[in-house]
Amino acid sequence: MFSFLTGISKNKFFIYSVLLAYTFFFWLMLKITLQYIPIKTDAAFLAIKQSYIHLTHYRIAFFVHVFSAIFVLLAGFTQFSKKIRVKFPVIHKHLGWLYVIVTLFLAGPSGFIIGVYANGGISSKIAFCLLSILWILFTALALLKITKKQVLSHRKWMIRSFALALSAITLRAWKYILVALFHPKPMDVYQIVAWLGWTLNLVIAEIIILNQFKNESKTTL
Amino acid sequence: MKVKQLFNFSVLAICISACGDAKKPEEQPMHIIDTAAIDEGKLALNNSAVEPLTETSSLIGFYVGEFEAVVSDAKKAPSYFNRINVSIDSIVDEELFGHSVVAGNNRPFKGNFSQKDNLYISEAKEPGNNKYDGVFTFTIFTQPGKITGTWVANDKKLAVTKRSYSLSKKVFQYDPQQNLNLGGRHGVYDPAANNEFEGEFITEEAGKFNASAIVLQGKDIENMYKRDLEVMRNTIYARHGYSFKNRIMRYFFDSEISWYIPVSTDVSKELTDLEIKNITLIKSYEEYASAYYDSFGR
Repeated sequence: MFSFLTGISKNKFFIYSVLLAYTFFFWLMLKITLQYIPIKTDAAFLAIKQSYIHLTHYRIAFFVHVFSAIFVLLAGFTQFSKKIRVKFPVIHKHLGWLYVIVTLFLAGPSGFIIGVYANGGISSKIAFCLLSILWILFTALALLKITKKQVLSHRKWMIRSFALALSAITLRAWKYILVALFHPKPMDVYQIVAWLGWTLNLVIAEIIILNQFKNESKTTL
Repeated sequence: MKVKQLFNFSVLAICISACGDAKKPEEQPMHIIDTAAIDEGKLALNNSAVEPLTETSSLIGFYVGEFEAVVSDAKKAPSYFNRINVSIDSIVDEELFGHSVVAGNNRPFKGNFSQKDNLYISEAKEPGNNKYDGVFTFTIFTQPGKITGTWVANDKKLAVTKRSYSLSKKVFQYDPQQNLNLGGRHGVYDPAANNEFEGEFITEEAGKFNASAIVLQGKDIENMYKRDLEVMRNTIYARHGYSFKNRIMRYFFDSEISWYIPVSTDVSKELTDLEIKNITLIKSYEEYASAYYDSFGR
């Protein structure tokens, strides 16, 4: 019915919706990033991190994380387009390197360091540190698989890696929803989304992998 | 008791004089009898109602209580109940000088002063150069220290044009140990808001820490609601007798906190270093909460 009216297929409609939604959330994330320009040590989130901001390694890690992670979101999204992969493999390769290098050497490790100082006690500290470790691990595995030309396996690990990268968006979205619905205390909600923000993404990633690859070769992981 | 004492001393006096000993002890009982005689004289004077009931200096002080709206316009979002502090500052001849602190306003007044039967009455005017100035009519009772009366606004277009009050004499003293003791939730009431009650509340956590007595850390307060943080921070000001302009804070302290006495509209110079430090910390969490608590972000 919809395709009859608009002349575009259901599949295309789905892709455009996802694109639109992603653009919207990317814009929100960009706004969060831009809050810290010019560099201020008391802006936004840092207002409540004043007891750590004097630590040089925390300060460096924080700003590295904020300013690098946005490139991960930008580079990562394009990689799942079949069109780009097939028609412009060079772009896929270059953005892939950007994604991998930023994740492995900048956004990932800095995420671990600020995770050590996370708000909300030991529970959210573990959640954020585990998130960064898994993120680095999955991304490294994806890189390893493609260097061995194991494309299917590469794709699976990249889906998992990007699912974790998206936690930047999903945990904030969960926070928004939980606050609107239940008006919880600020650190209670923080502890919840520290876990909910990425574990659910991984579950969805596995479902996507199962669906996408059920007809394809089962020779690789 | 007194009579019995006097009797004993008289007996003693008789004994001593009978003994015919040294003169010195003889003077003591005489002195006591004299004092009693003076007291009696005073009593007689008081009953005559010619002289003042008491020294007018004993009337000086803070009289605190509810400043209740009698004539008001509901459309103009009136404050029906404010806690007022009427301070009698000095009485010179037949003139009375004082000031009142209520709802973030500190206004002087001056009026006549006279005795009527066994109490004092006064009609005192505020200067008239403030929108909320008016005229007080006081009836002052000496025992117990109490003032009743009315206040009539100069400007008849105000939300409240007449108020009444019955105030008790109180002593204000800054006590850093004074804290909130809230049993459960308190609704936040703000008639100025379009929606009278937006489901907002102040919880007992607002009194979890005494920000005038202990050094707060971020981890102490990071899981507190913004409204509770605001109350905790304003409790510092309340201890110093700050009179709140902010309606929500004012209604809370005026109606819920019995020890609270508004004495000043600026207590910034009274704050201790500890309090200033805690205010800065709490404020940063409040600002963070108002910017990010219910938004997409952290």
